[in-house]
Amino acid sequence: MSIPEEIDFEVDADDLTPLAEDGKALGSPSLVVDDLYVTYRVFGGKRVGNATGQKPGVLKRFLSGGRTHVGGVTSVEAIKGVSFVARHGESIGVVGINGSGKSTLMRAIAGLIPPTHGAVYVSGDPSLLGVNAVLMGSLTGERNVMIGGLALGLTPDEVRERFDEIVDFSGIGDAIYLPMKAYSSGMGARLRFAISSAAVPDVLMIDEALATGDAAFRKKSKARIDAIRDQAGTVFLVSHSLATIESICSRTLWVHQGKLVMDGPSAEVCAAYKAFVRAQDGASR
Amino acid sequence: MRAIAQASGLRQMGVRPPLTEYVRALWARRAFIRTLGSAKAYARNQGSYLGQLWSVLNPLLNSLVYVFIFGILIKTTRGTENGIAFIVTGVFIYRFFDSSVTSGANSLKNNMSLVRSVHFPRAALPISTTITELATLGPALVVMCVVSWLSGLLPKQGDVPITWRLLLLPVAVGLMWVFNTGCAFFVARWVAITPDLGNVIPFVLRFVFYASGVLFSVDHYIKNEALAGVLTYQPVAVFLNMARSTVLNEPTIPLDPVMWIVGAGWALVAVVFGFLVFWRGEERYGRD
Repeated sequence: MSIPEEIDFEVDADDLTPLAEDGKALGSPSLVVDDLYVTYRVFGGKRVGNATGQKPGVLKRFLSGGRTHVGGVTSVEAIKGVSFVARHGESIGVVGINGSGKSTLMRAIAGLIPPTHGAVYVSGDPSLLGVNAVLMGSLTGERNVMIGGLALGLTPDEVRERFDEIVDFSGIGDAIYLPMKAYSSGMGARLRFAISSAAVPDVLMIDEALATGDAAFRKKSKARIDAIRDQAGTVFLVSHSLATIESICSRTLWVHQGKLVMDGPSAEVCAAYKAFVRAQDGASR
Repeated sequence: MRAIAQASGLRQMGVRPPLTEYVRALWARRAFIRTLGSAKAYARNQGSYLGQLWSVLNPLLNSLVYVFIFGILIKTTRGTENGIAFIVTGVFIYRFFDSSVTSGANSLKNNMSLVRSVHFPRAALPISTTITELATLGPALVVMCVVSWLSGLLPKQGDVPITWRLLLLPVAVGLMWVFNTGCAFFVARWVAITPDLGNVIPFVLRFVFYASGVLFSVDHYIKNEALAGVLTYQPVAVFLNMARSTVLNEPTIPLDPVMWIVGAGWALVAVVFGFLVFWRGEERYGRD
C-alpha cells in the first residue's frame, strides 16, 4: 500500500466561517454521473514483467528485452464505475489520497476527458479550474485573460468588460502585462481562478486551487464560491485540507483507487476518511 | 440514471456532438480561434531584444541565403528567366504548407494543457495553428515580393515588374490556407490517435518538397507526359503555380484560370473531408 500523504488536520482557517446550514432546499439535478469508467492510454511506460519474483533466464531476457522498448503502451484505469447525482445549489467536496482519481473524475465531469464507458450528464457548460491547468506560459496574463475568457464562451466585448474585475480579483496588479511563465505558482493559480470564475458556470469544479492562495485570497475565493452557489450553481472542491472542505461543502465524496467509497454529509465522510488515513499511517510505521 | 438526466434536461458530456451542432459551436468560438492563432504568432518573436522586428528579419535573412547561393554561387537558370525570384517565392510558399502541416499535426499535443482545462470544439486547435502560420507568412510575403522585384535589377536575371496580377496573390494564399487547414485536420487526428505517425510526416513533406518543383521547374526536367501531368496538378504544385503566376514574370508560368479552378477544388475537398475526419475522432481527443 502507498503511504498516504500528509493531511492538513489543523483548522488553520481563522477566516473560514463554519458552513451556515440555512436549510435551503436543493434544486433540480445539475449533474448525473452514470457508471463512469475512464481509461488512459499512456505511452512510454515500461512493461512490467512476470511477478513471480524469479529472475528470468538469459534466453528469456534476450527475447523479451526488446519488447520493453517497443510498443510500451499502458492502459491505466483511473476511474472504475462511479455513479452519483448532484443538484443545483449543492457544494460537494472530493477527498482521497494522491492518485485515487479525484482530478480525473473532475476532468471527466467537465467533458475534458472522454469516458471509456458510462456517461456524464450536465446542465450548461461546466468549468474546471485547477492548479495544474496551465494557460499559455509564453503569453502575457492579459492575453491569457482574453484567451481563457473566449475559450469559456464569452464574447470579446464581455471579456474586455470584465477585464478590470478579473485583474482586481486576482490581485496581481501590473504583473498582468508580464508573460505567465514569470509568475509564481500562487499568482498563476489566482489568475486562473479569477478567469474561470469570471463566467458563472452551472457547475464549477475547483481542483486544489484554494491551497495555493494566501489567507486573504482564500477569503475572497470563498466569497466567490458562495456567490456561485447562490446563483443555483453546483460547486465541486477537490482539496487535501479537510478543514476547508468541512467549512465550504455540505456533502463529500471519498474516492479511492478509482471507486466511490463513501458519499454523504461532509462531517461523516471526513471523519471516516481521517480514520482511514490514521490507520494507514499506523500500518506503515 | 439516464432517465433522471433526461427528465432534468441535462446534456451528455464527452460524446461527439452532431455535425451541425459542432459547426455552430465552432463558429461561436471564432473570436477564440483568431485570438489564439494570432497570439501564438506574436509569442513566437517575443523573448528577444528585437521582438516583433524578427517577423520581417527572419524571412529577409532567409531569402538573402537563397540570393547568395542561387544568384551568386550557382548561376543556373533551371529553365527560368529569373532563378532567384523563382526559388524565393517557391520556398516561402512551400514553407507555409510545410509548417501548417507540421504544427497542425502537433496541435492537440502542444495544447494539451488547454484541452485538459477548458471545453470547446477541438477543431479550433488545428484551425488556430494554421492561422498562426498565416500570420507568420504575412510579413514574409511582403519581403518575398520586395526581394523578387530587387532580384530583377541584378544582371543576367529577368525583370520582375510590379503588375496588377499581384492583387491576386492574397487570393492564392487564402485558398492555400483553406487547403492547409484541411490537411492540418487530417494529420491532427492521425497523430492524436497514433503518435508514431508524427515521425513519418517529415519524410512525406520532404518528398512533397521535391515533387512540387520548389527549387526547379518540374516540366523542365520531367519529360514523361503522364507523370508530368500528375506533378503539375497535385495540390501543392498548383498553389505554387498560382502564387508564382501573380508575382513572377515567367513566360512558362502564365496566369492560367484552369489552375485557379483546380486550386479552389483542392482547397474545398481538403477542408471538407479533413473536417469530417477530425470531427469523427472528437470524443477521443484528450484521453492520452
